[in-house]
Amino acid sequence: MLWHIPLRNLFRNRRRTLLGLAIIALGTAMVYAVLGYVDFTMYNIRLGTVKQYGNFQIASPLLWDEKTEKFAYLIQPDTLAKVEQILSKEPGVVAYTKQLNFSGLATTPNKTKVVRATALEPNNRALDYNDLVVTDDKEHKEWNVGKGLDPADQGKVLIGRTLAKELQLKPGDFFSVTATTVDGAYNVGPLRVAGVFRLNNEVAEGQLIFVPIAYGKTLMNTEGVAKIIVKVNNLDDSVRVASSVQEKLRAAGLELEIRTWEQLAEFYRQIKGFFGALFGFLMLSVSVLVFFIVMQVLTLAFLERTREVGTIRAIGTKRSQVFSMFFMESVMLGVFGSFTGLVLGWLLGQGFNALGIGWTPPGAIAPVPVRLSLTLGNAWLPFIVSAIATLLSSLYPVTRTARITIVDALRTA
Amino acid sequence: MILETQRLSKVYSVGQEKIPALRGVDFHASAGDFIVINGPSGSGKSTFLNLIACVDRHSEGEVLIEGQATSKLSENQLAELRKRKIGLVFQSFNLIPVLSAYENVEYPLLLLGVNSSERQRRVMGLLEEVGIKDLAKRRPDELSGGQRQRVAIARSLVTEPKLVLADEPTANLDSETGKQVMSIMRRLNEDHKVAFLVVTHDPVVTQYAERTVKIRDGQLTEENSHVVAYSAA
Ligand SMILES: Nc1ncnc2c1ncn2[C@@H]1O[C@H](COP(=O)(O)OP(=O)(O)O)[C@@H](O)[C@H]1O
Ligand SMILES: [Mg+2]
Repeated sequence: MLWHIPLRNLFRNRRRTLLGLAIIALGTAMVYAVLGYVDFTMYNIRLGTVKQYGNFQIASPLLWDEKTEKFAYLIQPDTLAKVEQILSKEPGVVAYTKQLNFSGLATTPNKTKVVRATALEPNNRALDYNDLVVTDDKEHKEWNVGKGLDPADQGKVLIGRTLAKELQLKPGDFFSVTATTVDGAYNVGPLRVAGVFRLNNEVAEGQLIFVPIAYGKTLMNTEGVAKIIVKVNNLDDSVRVASSVQEKLRAAGLELEIRTWEQLAEFYRQIKGFFGALFGFLMLSVSVLVFFIVMQVLTLAFLERTREVGTIRAIGTKRSQVFSMFFMESVMLGVFGSFTGLVLGWLLGQGFNALGIGWTPPGAIAPVPVRLSLTLGNAWLPFIVSAIATLLSSLYPVTRTARITIVDALRTA
Repeated sequence: MILETQRLSKVYSVGQEKIPALRGVDFHASAGDFIVINGPSGSGKSTFLNLIACVDRHSEGEVLIEGQATSKLSENQLAELRKRKIGLVFQSFNLIPVLSAYENVEYPLLLLGVNSSERQRRVMGLLEEVGIKDLAKRRPDELSGGQRQRVAIARSLVTEPKLVLADEPTANLDSETGKQVMSIMRRLNEDHKVAFLVVTHDPVVTQYAERTVKIRDGQLTEENSHVVAYSAA
């Protein structure tokens, strides 16, 4: 009803209002910036994770349950043909590729190590590790002549940096790999190092090797594959396409189960949980800070007007009307402050993005850009959070103001 | 009878101590009265005025406004009663600093939900009557004390109450300005047929009274009723 009074009261003590606005705005800007950072980073991690796992993978439930003994999980050629038939007709699917995995012993004349091999189709369009090959190592320049795998070269392998160091191997060197065939016999094959790769993970760099799938099949004496990795045209479509394909697999009577990238990537789920907790904690801290400071600011501002409140109450203003007037003022403060915070956060964030800061996480190939994703979608949460913190902080001072004793209030100076 | 008090008492409690500020006051005011209650500081003037203005609760007795007993009214009903039936003028003017003179006078009408053309008519009419029509746009801090009190008087009358209560309205004004303010009140009392009850310890104010009441130690004693030539002042 009486809009002009709260609005004018809001700007009556400029210094105090500015302090309140500044606290709310800084809180909002901070939450906005951090949310922008988390959003941008998570997006990149999602892209990276999908690059590593594909959008989803198809395999026997036995493989997912890690019941790998006797190789019953292997997908045999007739089943594989049916799956490929389904995938080639599925609209969202861009590409797919097959993998076979086995453990074995890598042996050089003076050392032996347990390795886990991924046998893959070189140069497929779904999931390829050739871009991980090191060509610019400062310490081990001998690695830099390495190349990715090629469908043509059968007996070549990519090894991780740790393994390369431990076995003292470089591109062009040979070693032998011993594995069990599906029938339980030992089989040994020679491998020539095509290149050395890096991952974000030192343990994996010491264990993983990549070989062409044909080599893996020969070594394991099987025609089967372990899983089919599928790439979808749009990251956000992963789950939808996956369930559509799962439906068709079931209809075709195939005992195969799909896992999406998010189900597969424990790392992603952990980091998502971590960022979620971090962001939640930040939001809580900012809210608490805004809550207490704004409460202090409002309490003082309202206390100054005790006699005015006594006056308007004496001439017939109801408690509820005093409440609305002062609450309205707090709403305006909250909305102004939060909005200012978004503008501030946006401007500072743009400035930060313009600096083009990047950092190279341990093991990464290229520096990862550090950016803030300053979208409208990321704006509403910080806005709501600090506006609500402001409103909550106003409840006590506003209620107290509405409940003053008129005669006492009139007596104050 | 627009105002009546019956055996009205007020006892303040300060810690264990009980301070009887008003002791069984019987009082009444009729429509169009101009009454001055005179008494020294601490005699209970403000206490009495606060009780009949319904901004404070009495300890015993009863206050009747236009025949209506107020003891049992709720907080909201009292606010409603103050808004519609009583005008208040304070010693330190008590205007809302963020509102202009016009808006201060308009404020009670906003509470009553009066439409804007009617508001404008009443507010400008009263500002003209108290002689500060040209200062309508000024904020209180741009007005002199006398001008502020004129705004306050206009505000007290804008809802067309039958009773205006003023607590030492001249105490913060120099004597000349005080006299002007009193004459304005007296004139409005005549023109609007509204009763004024002014409490003061200032003998000059008493000259304007139609009826004078003395207050001492929380008890009233009626003086003579007389008419003064307020216009001469
Ligand atoms: N809130 C209060 N608490 C305690 N005593 C009060 C209070 N208000 C007034 N009194 C006491 O009541 C008496 C009357 O005060 P008051 O009505 O303010 O007198 P006046 O307005 O004539 O100066 C005084 O003794 C004063 O000290
Ligand atoms: Mg007094």
